[in-house]
Amino acid sequence: MAALTRRLRLPSSPIENSVEARAFVFSAFAVAVLAIVLYGQDYVLPVLGIAGAAAGHVISYRERDRKRGFWRQVFLAVLVFGALFYLIADSSLALFGGVLPQANFAVLLVAITSFDLKTRRNCYSSLWISLAIVYLAAVYAWDYEFGLLLALWALCLGGFWASSHLRRMNLQMRFPARAIAVAGVAALIAGVALFVATPQPSGVPISPLIVSLPNFTSFRGDIESAALPLVQLTGDPSGANGSVDLHFRGRLGDTPVMYVRTGAPAYWRGLAFDRYADGAWTASIHGYREMQPYVPPRFLPPAPKDNLGTFVQTFRVLRPMPAVINAAYPIESLYAPVAALREDAYGTFHTPDQLRPGQTYSVVSYVPNLTQAVLQAEPPLDPAFLDLYPGHAALYTDAGRLSPRARTVAVHVAGSNSSEYDRVMALTGYLQHNFRYTLDLPRVPTGVDPVDWFLFDVKTGYCEQFATALALMLRSLDIPARLVTGYATGDYDAVLNQAVVRERDAHAWVEVWFPNHGWVPVDPTPGVSPLAATTFPSHWAAGGLARLLPHLTIGAPAAGLGSLGALAVVPAAVAVGLAVVLAYAWVRRRRWHSGAKAQPGESELLRLYERLQRRLGRRRAPPETPLEYQKTMPSALLEEVTRAVNEGAYAGRWPDPARLRKLALRVPAKSRRRL
Amino acid sequence: MAATQEPSLQPRRAAELLDRVEKNIHLVIVGKDRVVRLALAGLVAGGHILLQDLPGTGKTMLARALATSVGGIFRRIQCTPDLLPSDITGSSVFNQKDLTFEFIPGPIFAHIVLADEVNRTTPRTQSALLEAMGEGQVTVEGTTRVLERPFFVVATQNPAEFHGTYPLPESQLDRFVLAEEMGPPTDSEALEVLARREHGDPIAELSAVIDIREVIELQEACLRVVVAPAIRSYIVALLRAIRARPDVLLPASMRSGVYLQRAAQAWALFEGRDFVLPDDIKLLSGPVLAHRLGMKGRGRAADMLSEVVSTLPIPPLRQH
Repeated sequence: MAALTRRLRLPSSPIENSVEARAFVFSAFAVAVLAIVLYGQDYVLPVLGIAGAAAGHVISYRERDRKRGFWRQVFLAVLVFGALFYLIADSSLALFGGVLPQANFAVLLVAITSFDLKTRRNCYSSLWISLAIVYLAAVYAWDYEFGLLLALWALCLGGFWASSHLRRMNLQMRFPARAIAVAGVAALIAGVALFVATPQPSGVPISPLIVSLPNFTSFRGDIESAALPLVQLTGDPSGANGSVDLHFRGRLGDTPVMYVRTGAPAYWRGLAFDRYADGAWTASIHGYREMQPYVPPRFLPPAPKDNLGTFVQTFRVLRPMPAVINAAYPIESLYAPVAALREDAYGTFHTPDQLRPGQTYSVVSYVPNLTQAVLQAEPPLDPAFLDLYPGHAALYTDAGRLSPRARTVAVHVAGSNSSEYDRVMALTGYLQHNFRYTLDLPRVPTGVDPVDWFLFDVKTGYCEQFATALALMLRSLDIPARLVTGYATGDYDAVLNQAVVRERDAHAWVEVWFPNHGWVPVDPTPGVSPLAATTFPSHWAAGGLARLLPHLTIGAPAAGLGSLGALAVVPAAVAVGLAVVLAYAWVRRRRWHSGAKAQPGESELLRLYERLQRRLGRRRAPPETPLEYQKTMPSALLEEVTRAVNEGAYAGRWPDPARLRKLALRVPAKSRRRL
Repeated sequence: MAATQEPSLQPRRAAELLDRVEKNIHLVIVGKDRVVRLALAGLVAGGHILLQDLPGTGKTMLARALATSVGGIFRRIQCTPDLLPSDITGSSVFNQKDLTFEFIPGPIFAHIVLADEVNRTTPRTQSALLEAMGEGQVTVEGTTRVLERPFFVVATQNPAEFHGTYPLPESQLDRFVLAEEMGPPTDSEALEVLARREHGDPIAELSAVIDIREVIELQEACLRVVVAPAIRSYIVALLRAIRARPDVLLPASMRSGVYLQRAAQAWALFEGRDFVLPDDIKLLSGPVLAHRLGMKGRGRAADMLSEVVSTLPIPPLRQH
């Protein structure tokens, strides 16, 4: 056992004496926390963590020369495990999943371990944990400014390294404050003198100061309705009723718009548009029905028997968004913490007011069975459609001013296919394979129909052009179709187990009416599956692999520990780990020895020696020999014990039990009085 | 502690003998307890010592007093640039009477040899002396002659003068177990020196307090002093710590570790101990190691060493 514990022990690390080095460790943590606050929008715990870490740094610097107290170590270990339990509980039991649980855990870990920063190795581990926090923040950061934080962090690391080593070499770390101050003041004086000495032209007004800074706005996405960038012209302050104008295109940035924790990937569908005129889509039906914030399944069309299952999505809004519930369709039930909900004629739900950052809502959707075989088996279109939407049938088959040559192309491409599905797929495939996708498009010339311009002139476009072209061409073949907007699934973040939806994920696609299945989403944009609702994008599948790793799925949605499934091993593993740590600490405390090698009297004498040191109020420092220690401590008993210890440790003659007992009797009980 | 039947010298008895010698030396040398004890420890450890200081600080007096106290043969070699190796080892002289070559032994054939101002002589002569120190024998004209036992060289060196000197290279310095400076006397010591010299030279009245056989017994007792594994690992850790220092150019050799152990064993005898304490290692690290370390820059090796021993943790008391 002794050999094992000795082997497990790490080589010792020097005590970190440098205040500057410790300040750098703390600054690195502060930078990491700043990154989390700025990019993760997580406020409460990071601030608490900073306060705790500051206190911990002060305490651990003051007590760096003292031996670690056993019970304090145990207390810190318990706190660490408590933080771990908090992480699990926060991510699995919270209604909408925790806010950045991993980052919070790391922050807590740094704050707790700050109370035990004794050696240089301790400081380094604190630094590495703060690097992990920076990494977690990097998941959300897509701008150049994040590089500044990274550089700051690296500066702190370098500063720590330098000051720690300088201190070890007994050199002073000095900030060239004087030189910088002199240079600054000199420059100021020189500038003022130059200004005063230079003759100023009279009569010319002083122009405002011009500062030339690089301007990155063109990359940032500066759009009227930030969260629904495709809908440019909003008449309603809530942004809900709009139109999609093909003449304009918002610039889409990388800013996250919302997080979605979802059981399956899907398109987050927002508004639908049915009327196309003059290059713009608008919604023509304004009817709606009012609902409670919780919409139970009985208020919504029942899911067909052959559906592929239901899944929950939880949305967390990050930026102000129009009052539209973006969600996977068809919806089975939904809950949004607002006063009321409205369902419009297109099945989209609206909230009374704008969605604000931090607002969440959750939706249960089912995955309809829309495979090729099922759709091909659909009966041909018949006027049954008219029954469903009386008065609107003409609208859904109105191709507007689609040019004759476009109609010819549609007829030609659809060919002799008999089933509706084949004709839809033929047109979709035609668009996907013969046109190029680009976001870098010149403005549509005035007086030109954007669809005709897209199909015959530029032959490149983005989702709206593709979707519009498909919808209109389908309509020209008397197949009902409409345009819908929303967001693509977003990037799956395996660490957080949720999709990060950004501005650039804004998307538009087509819904086609099939008599038995209603509106079926079809995506004509190149590079994606035409029937998006039923296929899994590859990156999501890759993300699914990451779920096999327990630490990555700690934030998995779960109603409670019972539904954790394979994750249920995590609490058990944590408990076992806690038991192992406590047992190890106990072993080290008790110094269990098999007795095979230890000399009789050795353990007893050394324990007595330790106890005596504690009673004396100052323990022997590692470089101190027993004799040197004894000389600084006036105690007759210590003199005798030191002699015995020296004889034992350096001559192998340990005292007999009788003498030990006599010595032990003289060690006073717990009091700090001088011996 | 139970007495054993062994006739060999017990630590307590060794301490008595050493104390007697020390007291005897102090009849002549005022103060300088540490240097006296170090010199004696060098003798007991079976090595040679190097005294470095200005002329007139008592180096020669110390060596002479030491030699007289232990009752051995004492010779002095005043090193000069024209000193030849044969002046040290001796040479054969043609005897006119019986027409044979007769070997006249040089000053090296003595128990205690004082090599004064060893850095004044040529490297050739230095190496002859140092070879004798290392091997305990000299070879003259093809015949190998064994030196006296014990054989103890006290070399002195004046560190302040550089003109016309041949400083000992590090490899030669490495052969001395200990090197120490005499240091200036305090005022009271100086007064005492003057008072003692008022009516003559006290060294003339000095007599032997132990004999050379007892010196050999002391040397044997020194070899029996226990060095615990913890002490050995402390020495190894010390050497490693010195090697890790950025300001050390030439680190301590393995030989220096061996000498440190031996010197600590001798030091333990002074206190009547039969085991070495880490305190002995700490105390002796300066005299044993400082003179063989090459330092970068102007830092003093002794300062660096005292810093190392004051920060290096001693090995754990618990071995099991």
